[in-house]
Amino acid sequence: MSLDSTSSTSADDSPDPASPESVESQLGSVALSEPVAELASAANQVARNGVGFATASEGGDDDEEDADMGGEEGPVGRAEEEVWADYGGVGGLAAAEEVGEGLGGGGVVWGRTNSELEVDEPASPSSSGYAGERGSSGASSGELEIGEVVEDEIQEPRSDGVDGVLDSQASWVPGKRHVDEDDASVSWRKRKKHFFILSHSGKPIYSRYGDEHKLAGFSATLQAIISFVENGGDRVKFVRAGKHQVVFLVKGPIYLVCISCTEEPYDSLRGQLELMYGQMILILTKSVNRCFEKNPKFDMTPLLGGTDVVFSALIHSFSCNPATFLHAYTCLPLALATRQAAVAILQDVADSGVLFAILMCKHKVVSLVGAQKASLHPDDMLLLANFVMSSESFRTSESFSPICLPRYNPMAFLYAYVHYFDVDTYLMLLTTSSDAFYHLKDCRMRIEMVLLKSNVLSEIQRSLLDGGMHVEDLPVDPLPRSSSLPSHLSQPKPPTDSPERFRETCDWIAGPAGLWHFIYRSVFLDQYVSSEFPAPISSPRQQKRLYRAYQKLYASMHEKGIGPHKTQFRRDENYVLLCWVTQDFELYAAFDPLADKALAIKTCNRVCQWVKDVENEIFLLGASPFSW
Amino acid sequence: MGCSSSLPDRSSGRLVGPNLENGGAPDSKNLRVKLVLLGDSGVGKSCIVLRFVRGQFDPTSKVTVGASFLSQTIALQDSTTVKFEIWDTAGQERYAALAPLYYRGAAVAVVVYDITSPESFSKAQYWVKELQKHGSPDIVMALVGNKADLHEKREVSVQEGIDYAEKNGMFFIETSAKTADNINQLFEEIAKRLPRSTAQ
Repeated sequence: MSLDSTSSTSADDSPDPASPESVESQLGSVALSEPVAELASAANQVARNGVGFATASEGGDDDEEDADMGGEEGPVGRAEEEVWADYGGVGGLAAAEEVGEGLGGGGVVWGRTNSELEVDEPASPSSSGYAGERGSSGASSGELEIGEVVEDEIQEPRSDGVDGVLDSQASWVPGKRHVDEDDASVSWRKRKKHFFILSHSGKPIYSRYGDEHKLAGFSATLQAIISFVENGGDRVKFVRAGKHQVVFLVKGPIYLVCISCTEEPYDSLRGQLELMYGQMILILTKSVNRCFEKNPKFDMTPLLGGTDVVFSALIHSFSCNPATFLHAYTCLPLALATRQAAVAILQDVADSGVLFAILMCKHKVVSLVGAQKASLHPDDMLLLANFVMSSESFRTSESFSPICLPRYNPMAFLYAYVHYFDVDTYLMLLTTSSDAFYHLKDCRMRIEMVLLKSNVLSEIQRSLLDGGMHVEDLPVDPLPRSSSLPSHLSQPKPPTDSPERFRETCDWIAGPAGLWHFIYRSVFLDQYVSSEFPAPISSPRQQKRLYRAYQKLYASMHEKGIGPHKTQFRRDENYVLLCWVTQDFELYAAFDPLADKALAIKTCNRVCQWVKDVENEIFLLGASPFSW
Repeated sequence: MGCSSSLPDRSSGRLVGPNLENGGAPDSKNLRVKLVLLGDSGVGKSCIVLRFVRGQFDPTSKVTVGASFLSQTIALQDSTTVKFEIWDTAGQERYAALAPLYYRGAAVAVVVYDITSPESFSKAQYWVKELQKHGSPDIVMALVGNKADLHEKREVSVQEGIDYAEKNGMFFIETSAKTADNINQLFEEIAKRLPRSTAQ
């Protein structure tokens, strides 16, 4: 079935089915009761047995909800994955053509931070990045003294209630699932992707599944593994155990861990943990570290009360929003004049002392303006939009809330005025002044008037209905570069050029040469545009699989230390994927698995031309550069 | 003027004033007051406000982030109107340190607890003390026991509420945002207690 089944994985997908329970529970008990020295043997045992969390035999656990991969990633995905995940396999990456090389890795790979493999950002050179953060904090913040108010334990009401009523294809409902589970539950162990946040003393802070409080023992185990390696002057990056990968991220007193058998590359999972941490900083600022200075055993869960939805929405977006791995944002397609009207009024407001004015529709930017010199990182935008969209209360009325932009200044709060114009479209005005509410409210009324007068709000709704770029509309013959463009994106298609002659090569209705989908990322703009999904990729599950494939492609193209790659063409049973990276842009395209290679390359050229032809409408141009 | 049409329960002879001035200078007949709601998370602050402002009740609780701002105008029998500018604050602990941002300059503070939760009652007392220390000296304070419809689960007696309110010079009422019981009365009573002399 697969075109590249030249290799197979090593035997690591079937760890000894008898051992996981015992080793895991042993780890747990050791962690709770014994000093660190004992852990050496426990951790080593994990390594020897190649088990760790691999509850292994879950071949097809279809009970999984939408937020996890079903069993659809077949052996092909796994075969390729081996190439990415192991350091030994880097040579395989260069062989971009139809990758199918598998590496027979052992059961467990300890990815450690040896000096030559150090890929951490230079900002935190030592394992105690904590001290560094503290040093830099003194000057900037002082806004929040969370530690002072922690007097009584407050029971937070959980907003659960959606337990177990999920249909994999139904529209996704935010919120925490399966709160009744803990690490003793079989179902909990079978979840394909866990996320944990814990403190350096091993106290649970957040868990994607299950009740944090019941996971104290498990958290302590994770903490023990991290500190065991740290005590040896090293740092653990990931542990590979059978099909499972355990990825660690240490941020001062906060530890983040992902345990996943989704075959996602290490770099992607690590990027997801970075975003989780950023989301936490957005809610609390980094000054939460001070609480741990005062009391190492500080319990952080009450501080995050009610934010389960924010984290679960972010985790959900890891599999349905390419911004999470592209580090770019996307715009709602709009006629140039419409967008200019929106930019002009926001600019007006920004000049009156607003730091950032952002008008968004769902997760797409309508317009965005920063005060002079202020720039907004795409990741901050992603986290902010996720926070606002997942917190229902913003929809009920205008709000004024402290938020922190981790890439802008992780130590200090900004104040966000948030107002929804309609169910999809919302305005965020950010300021440094805590007294600015009434000013921002006035600004909003001015903005609203202009938007109504110039029909921007109705144009937004129309664009939402029309969608963005459809691959079926890809012009067959590259249009000569013209400056006067049709008013809507779908119109460049001349009436005669239906791509039927291509369609006959496949059963699907999609673009020419079997083009199904593409993402174009403009390097300078920090923006990307993604085509609409055609029939062959209509279900959320198929979309998630494609995004995972892109994500893997992205990680392989950006992997550090093996030189820049320019193109990659790979074919498997699901798609032909083509990636093309230049100084100006990155193009990721998916084709029918039977697509012709030469034709696919030609089609990609046309996609790039098409994007250039309509860039006025799909990108926010002429604004200041947004990243530092 | 959407506010008047969305209020289903208006039998008490109370009228909802028209949307008066927007930014027009308030006079003795048309008061504009800043009101802040404080209390533990989950006691129903947002539900009280939404019941009062929109006549709605949504049983699926939505955690408030930061603070929401709503306003509602009521007309009293002496033909004065009071426009409440309401800050509905988040009860989450992480926002406690930021509460002064919202109660600073407030003429009215409504401290809410849940009659089925003694913890929320002690949290209410915390807020009362905080306001006595840091709020405006002439602030009008109301103590509200919400979720009065859940009387079979009651754990804070009416008398406890009355006693504490009396000791601290507050006005006390039990409400149910779910059944709309006493919600309008709460705000009318507040309006009556507002000091008028300053505006005259």
